[in-house]
Amino acid sequence: MMSNQLSELDTFRREVRDFLESAATDEIREAGRKTTSVFAPFKQAMAWQKILYNKGWVAPAWPVEYGGTGWTIHQRYIFVEECNRLELPPVLPQNIQMVGPAVIGFGSEEQKAKYLPGMLSGDDFWCQGYSEPGAGSDLASLKCRADSDGDDYILNGSKTWTTYGHHANKMFALVRTSSEGKPQQGISFLLLDMNTPGIEVRPIIGLDGEPEQCEVFFTDARVPKANRIGEENKGWSVAKYVLEFERGGSTFGAWLTPAFERLRARCQQSNESGVRLIDDVSVARKLAKLEVDISAVEHTEKRVNANLKHGENPGPMASLLKILGSEVMQQYSELQLEISGVDALAQQHSALHVESGIAAIGSEADMLAMPYYLNTRAASIYAGSNEVQRSLLAKAVMGA
Amino acid sequence: MFYQYSEDQNAFRDSLRRFVQDHYDYETRRQRLEKSEVFNADYWRQLAELGVLGLPFSETDGGLDLDFPYLMAVAEEIGRGLVLEPVLPVTVAGRLLAASNSSDAKSHLAALISGECLVSLAWEESSSRGNPLLTQCTLVTRGDGYVLNGKKQAALAAAESQFYIVSARDSGGDLQLLLLNAKHSGITQRCYLLADGNSAADLEFNNVELPASAIIASASQAEALLQTAISESIVVMAAEAIGAIDQLLVITQEYLLTRKQFGMPLAMFQSLQHRFADMVIAAEKLRSLLWAACQQLGSDNQEKAAAQLKVQLGESARYVGQQAVQLHGGIGMTDELNVGAYFKRLTVMELLCGQQDYHLGKLAELALVS
Ligand SMILES: Cc1cc2nc3c(=O)[nH]c(=O)nc-3n(C[C@H](O)[C@H](O)[C@H](O)COP(=O)(O)OP(=O)(O)OC[C@H]3O[C@@H](n4cnc5c(N)ncnc54)[C@H](O)[C@@H]3O)c2cc1C
Repeated sequence: MMSNQLSELDTFRREVRDFLESAATDEIREAGRKTTSVFAPFKQAMAWQKILYNKGWVAPAWPVEYGGTGWTIHQRYIFVEECNRLELPPVLPQNIQMVGPAVIGFGSEEQKAKYLPGMLSGDDFWCQGYSEPGAGSDLASLKCRADSDGDDYILNGSKTWTTYGHHANKMFALVRTSSEGKPQQGISFLLLDMNTPGIEVRPIIGLDGEPEQCEVFFTDARVPKANRIGEENKGWSVAKYVLEFERGGSTFGAWLTPAFERLRARCQQSNESGVRLIDDVSVARKLAKLEVDISAVEHTEKRVNANLKHGENPGPMASLLKILGSEVMQQYSELQLEISGVDALAQQHSALHVESGIAAIGSEADMLAMPYYLNTRAASIYAGSNEVQRSLLAKAVMGA
Repeated sequence: MFYQYSEDQNAFRDSLRRFVQDHYDYETRRQRLEKSEVFNADYWRQLAELGVLGLPFSETDGGLDLDFPYLMAVAEEIGRGLVLEPVLPVTVAGRLLAASNSSDAKSHLAALISGECLVSLAWEESSSRGNPLLTQCTLVTRGDGYVLNGKKQAALAAAESQFYIVSARDSGGDLQLLLLNAKHSGITQRCYLLADGNSAADLEFNNVELPASAIIASASQAEALLQTAISESIVVMAAEAIGAIDQLLVITQEYLLTRKQFGMPLAMFQSLQHRFADMVIAAEKLRSLLWAACQQLGSDNQEKAAAQLKVQLGESARYVGQQAVQLHGGIGMTDELNVGAYFKRLTVMELLCGQQDYHLGKLAELALVS
């Protein structure tokens, strides 16, 4: 990078930092610290989204005419770095990274006008209704039926693993509108209201003892055809477009680097008996190795971004970044747990809740280490499991 | 050398397995945890009646005088069934009492074996990081007795125990093991559930005044008793881990054979076959070192074998636990399927009794002096 470019980015970084520091309330910061999965606590994540929305920064990757910031890919990366440096709750990805791009890419002008404002402001929260009990990695085999009935579809079937389905007022769903041809060909992309009669939501308790994902059941739920995005039976292309929308949007490194710095700082503090963990050579070496891995993630992301021509998509590198980023995140969660050791053992559900006013038994960091470790196992399962991503990468690179 | 249970040990194991199957189905366990009912006094009484609490104790102490593998067999079934009752930590604590020269200590054994009295061995501390000799607890002489100050972390079964065995350093720098009544004034308990649902407590000792008779072992004898108790804890923990791992392999195998994606069972995907093979390898390495360590108990090699076993436990428990979740996909991340409960139990075992790095360091030191 050239030096004048660097200083422009530095100015940008300062501007971002100043705003974030002044805008984040204590409650939002507490929620950011107590985020133990990729999904921040709902209420505060939405409050933070509103603040960013008012600033015009809620959807950096969107085209400017729809509310994007017009930032370069490097500026977007810096923005995420700065948010993480302050441990702010990430904006939930469903509105901004998933359904928004679908509507931008395939929605009618009317649909855009109707839905985009609520997605940006967070007045609506959209949950993602893709996976089903029988259709996970093999998403195209999904069975949730949308039968035509005049101007409506009638939905029957179920969705599962729907993150924050119990908080959502809207859902974007992939449904089966035809059973002819290849499975991908009979799928449509539908928007629906969660308060539609015939929809039932059941939260699922996760490993950490908290509800995050949900099952959603449809029994003769009536959804207007006008809510379809794109053509009937062409929903698969809409879903694929969404996956490619961000083009180089991978920001694992921007999350990992500041998190790592906090972990190392903890190891540099003396414990009760005056011992610093970093003076233990096995801890120091593990930290050093993790830092190497995180650097590899960060610079791979930046290298991919730097080489992307405008509008290009990173192709198989997207799979590589997902595998690399999620697995280094898991290594981070392992080292964090090892560092907390027996101090991470106590279950502390109440103290984990934002604004509970209940102090952690030990340090807050120790309390967070176990739920974070457990939840981070999901990183190699969702967003295309790492097994599936490895197959995609191998196929693309080997050409076999 | 022996690497398997005898016929009698197997028969005993089978009877216990039936008991566990009848009393610890996963739904019942979940409901108990929802109510924070981690200790069921009725189950405890039944376990005592089955003889489970008296296996590795001499007949004079009121026990059945059976070889250590009997306790390992119990541990395996406890692991397989995710039993919440603290049979293993209480038994190891009891063995420490039995090995001491204190008649006071031994006087509790009969009640321990009959299930009327529980004892918790409290030695882990936040800053000791697995090393039992690194204690910040202090014991100072006062008059004819002593005053104890300090904290213990994650003392297993402490909430249910009537007595604690506590390690502390006296002003001369010697390690002392103390036996105290849980109700003694100056002790604060902070009880909680561990991440896996088992019960534990942090203990704080605030100017706890004790008579001289509270000391059940001193100096080198205290160190030896404590190290033996920890070696034994590691062996029973590894046996429990093997039980949990074996069950996770059964559950995962069944899932891979029945769950279909892309029109075929997951078991057809070669990458998953290899993963499963690696899980089996991890399990067998742990099983081998478990038997190796069991044979060294009571010998000069006991500590080394236990350290090796704990290193392997860390590796195998983590790998099998993580991969069992991974191969289940989304359902593996829930509390509704027992896979996650096994994963959490295995994770807690990784952290208790010294982590992998601590034991590797210990082995490296042993290699230097040998
Ligand atoms: C925390 C979390 C949040 C989620 N949020 C949402 C959400 O909001 N909306 C939504 O729709 N979904 C969501 N999901 C679901 C997620 O997309 C699925 O879990 C994922 O697609 C995997 O599907 P599955 O769980 O059915 O596992 P399966 O597809 O059954 O996979 C089980 C195992 O088999 C492996 N496997 C499968 N096929 C192959 C193959 N061909 N080769 C090799 N290995 C293979 C997988 O990698 C995995 O290890 C979420 C999941 C999690 C864990």
